[in-house]
Amino acid sequence: MSISYWRLKDRYYRLIGVSCEDCKSEFFPPVHVCRRCGSRKLVDRDMPRTGKIVTYTELRETLAGFEDQEPMLLCIVQLENGVKVLGQIVDTTVENLSIGDKVKAVFRKIQEHGSSGQIFYGYKFVKA
Amino acid sequence: MRRVYVASVGYTTVGDHWNKSILDLAVESGFKALAGAAKIKPEQLVVGNMFSGLSSRQEHLGALVANGLGLTGLPAFKVEAACASGGMASLTAFNMIRSGQIDSALVLGVEKMRDLDPGEISQALCTAESAEYTQFFGASFVSLNAMLARLYMYEFDVTRADLSAFPVIAHRNAVHAPHAQFRKEISYEDVARSMIISDPLRLLDCAPVGDGAAAMLLVSEDVAGDVNGPLVEIASAESATNRFSFYERDDMLDFAATKLAAHKALKSSGLSISDVDYLEVHDAFSAVASLSVEALGLSKRGQGARDAREGKYDCDGGLATNCFGGLKGRGHPVGATGIYQIAETYLQLTGKAGENQAKDVSVGLAQNIGGVDTTAVVHVLKRN
Amino acid sequence: MKTHYDVGIAGYGVYLPLYRLPTTEIARVWKGGGAGPNKEKAVASIDEDSSTMAVEAARRAMDMAEVSRLGAIFVGTESKPYAVKPTSTIVAQALGQHFVLASDMEFACKAATEAIQVIRGLVGSGMIQNGLAIGVDTAQGRPGDDLEFTTGSGAAAYVLSRSSPETLATVEAGVSYVTDTGDFWRRQNEKYPRHLSRFTGEPAYFHHVETSVKQLFEAYGLKASDFTYAVFHQPNPRFPVEVAHRLGFKAEQIKTGLLNPMIGNTYSASSPMGLAAVLDEAKPGDRVMIASFGSGAGSDAFALRVTDAIEKKRKKAVKVADLISKNTKIDYATYAKFRGKFTK
Ligand SMILES: [Zn+2]
Repeated sequence: MSISYWRLKDRYYRLIGVSCEDCKSEFFPPVHVCRRCGSRKLVDRDMPRTGKIVTYTELRETLAGFEDQEPMLLCIVQLENGVKVLGQIVDTTVENLSIGDKVKAVFRKIQEHGSSGQIFYGYKFVKA
Repeated sequence: MRRVYVASVGYTTVGDHWNKSILDLAVESGFKALAGAAKIKPEQLVVGNMFSGLSSRQEHLGALVANGLGLTGLPAFKVEAACASGGMASLTAFNMIRSGQIDSALVLGVEKMRDLDPGEISQALCTAESAEYTQFFGASFVSLNAMLARLYMYEFDVTRADLSAFPVIAHRNAVHAPHAQFRKEISYEDVARSMIISDPLRLLDCAPVGDGAAAMLLVSEDVAGDVNGPLVEIASAESATNRFSFYERDDMLDFAATKLAAHKALKSSGLSISDVDYLEVHDAFSAVASLSVEALGLSKRGQGARDAREGKYDCDGGLATNCFGGLKGRGHPVGATGIYQIAETYLQLTGKAGENQAKDVSVGLAQNIGGVDTTAVVHVLKRN
Repeated sequence: MKTHYDVGIAGYGVYLPLYRLPTTEIARVWKGGGAGPNKEKAVASIDEDSSTMAVEAARRAMDMAEVSRLGAIFVGTESKPYAVKPTSTIVAQALGQHFVLASDMEFACKAATEAIQVIRGLVGSGMIQNGLAIGVDTAQGRPGDDLEFTTGSGAAAYVLSRSSPETLATVEAGVSYVTDTGDFWRRQNEKYPRHLSRFTGEPAYFHHVETSVKQLFEAYGLKASDFTYAVFHQPNPRFPVEVAHRLGFKAEQIKTGLLNPMIGNTYSASSPMGLAAVLDEAKPGDRVMIASFGSGAGSDAFALRVTDAIEKKRKKAVKVADLISKNTKIDYATYAKFRGKFTK
C-alpha cells in the first residue's frame, strides 16, 4: 500500500488525470485507451478542482481502517470538464448536502496505518 | 454445438456456518449434486468463488475441493468475477461441454464470509471495485450502491416505499424456502425503519452476509441418457462487462453489461424476453434489482421498483421472480450466488420447488452480476 | 540583517479549519464552569494535520503570487505528523515543485518567521527567485492543562520574491534574537508539551519580544509611531496587548492582527496569520511591524512596507476575517474525537 500510494501521489495530491492527444478528451481515473476515439496516446493533465455533486451518501459502516471517520460522507463529483470522481466530502453533514451542490477539491488525510505506519494523503471535497 | 443440461443440483443452507470451513461447505453441496446423478462421473470441476484468499487464506480452490470430494486427479480450477463468480463458473463449464471438449462437469460456487469481522467483510467485498480510486478513499461496496440508489430515486422520483418493494417480496418468498437465510416476512415499515447502513440504503435494502455453497452437475446431450432425474437445458449462457466503476459511466443508471449479456443470451437461445416465465435477478440491493429488471427490458426505465410494488414480479400472479427469496431473502454468499440462482431455476422448471413452486414455468433467466453491473452473466434455461 | 536585493511578499495564504471549540466547553469539562482567556479556538478536523493545512495555505499563497517556480519550501511547525520524514516534501509534491530546497523548521511558535528570515536571505542573495515559508500547527495541550484553552490549529503561507511591481509588500528590515530559556518544551516521543506556568511571561515572551523589537528600532532608526499596524505573537489575548503597550504601540495599531480571542494560539501560524489579516486591509505605503516569539527562546521582528500592488493582489485573497467568521461550533466530545484525545 505504501508503495502503490507513492506511485499515485500526483493523482491523489493534484488530481492529475489524462488527456487524449488525438481528441482532447479527459479522464480521471486515468485510462490506457481513450474512451472516445480509442487512441492510446494519453498524457497527464491537471483536472479542474471544482465541480458539482452528482450523488452522495453517509456511510455508517466503514471499511476496516476508516472506523475513526465514521460516519463518512462520500460523493461522486462531476468536475468542470465533465469527468466524474469519487471522494469523501468533509466539513459538512448529510443534512446539508443536495445533488447539484458546488464543491471544490481539498487536500486531506485519507487513511493512516496505525500510529507507527505511513499516512496517506489525497483529495477530498468540501462545499464551495 | 451440443446441448448442455443441468442434471442435478445440491446446496447448503445459507447463513452463519460457524462450524464449517469453506471446504466443508463446498464438499457438502458437491456430494448432494453428485448424488443426484450417480452415474455421471464429472470430467471437470469448476469452482466459483470471490475472496477465499481473504476470508480463509486459501487459494487453489480447484484442487482443494477436488481432493475434498475424493476426486483427486480430476481437472479443477477456480473462476473469479466478484459476485458473478458463480455464474461465470457455470458459463465456463457450459462452454467446455457445449464445444465438445468434455461431457460432464461439476460446477460449484462457495463463499465463506463469516470468518471475517464486519469491517473485513466490507473490505473483501470492495475488492470488486477499484483499489486505487474507490477502496483507497474508504468507499465500501454498500456506499457505492447507496449512491446509485440515491441517483435512481432522484432521477425517476422513486419513493422510499417503491424501493422497499423488492426486499419485501424477497422476504415473503423466502419464508417457505428451506435453505434461505431469512425465513421471515418483513413489512414496508420494517424496511423504512431499519438501521441506516449508507443513506438512503438501510439494513433491509441490502442482501445479508452469509456462508453457503451450491453445486450442480452439467452434462452434454451425449451422456444425458445416464441421468435418472429430470433435466433442464441451459439454452444459453453469456456474459458482458461494463466500464469498471459505475461513476466512470456516462449513464450511471444503465446496467449496460446486463443488457448486453441478456441480449446475447436470448439471441443465441432463439428466445425473446417475453418467453421468460421464471426470473432470477441479482437483488443484492433494492435499487440494483430495479435497475436489473429495467436492463432486461421487463420494466420501463425508472419503473422497476414501482412495477415490483404493483405486483409485476410476484411469484403468485406476476412474472415469477426470485421465488426462493433471491439474494435478499435466500442470502448472498457471493461466489455461490450465481449457482444458487441456476439451481433454484432448475427446481422451478422441473416442478421440484415445493412450496415455492411457481405455476406453469418453462423458460427461466438468471442474471448474476459482479460489482455494480461491472460483470454480468445471464443464463437462459428451458424445461426439457 | 540586510539583503543584497530587496525582498518582498508576492503572495500570502491562510488556512483555518472549519471547527471551533468554545473555551466554555473546556471549562465545563475540566473546571466545572467558566471560560478560558480566549472565546474559541480553531480545531483541525479528524482528517487534518499540519501537512494538509500547510498545503491548503500554500495553494492560496501560490494562487496570489502567480509564480511558476519556487526555489525553497520551508515549513515551520512543532506538530509534524512524522517525527522523521519531512512535511515540506509533501507540500512540494502537492504543489508540483521539485527543484527546491525543502526543509522543516522547528522553533516552537516562531518557526515560520525563522523560515521567512531564511528565505529572505536566499532570495535577497540572488540564490533563488522565489521561496515559500509556511507556518502551521495543530497545537495540542494536555487535556485539562490551562494550555488547552488556547492551543489552536491553522496555517499561513508566504511567497517571498525579489521586490518588483508584483510584490505587495517589501521587507524593509528584520532582526532575530535568541537565548537558551526553558519556558516550554516537549521531549521526543511525548504527545503533549510541558511549560513552566508564569515563567513563560517575563523571562520568556516579554524579554525576547521586547528585545527583538527594540533591536529592530535601534538598528533601522524606527519607532512605534512609524507603523500603521503591529502584529505580535499571541499565545493568549493578554500578552500581545501588554507587550505592544510596553513598546509604545497604541491599541488601534494591533487590533487588526490580534486573532487569539477568536481562534486561540495557532503557534507557528499565529503572528504570520495576524500579518495576513493586516495585509487583507492595509493601504499602499502602510508600514507593518511583526514580531514573533518561540519558546526556547527567541523572537524575529520585521518591518514591512505595503506597496501599490496590494490592491490588485489581494483580490485573490481568501480573507482571514471570512475564514474566522465561517465556522462550525463543536463540543468537547467531538474535539476529543477529532484530535485523538483519550482514545489510546
Ligand atoms: Zn481520444
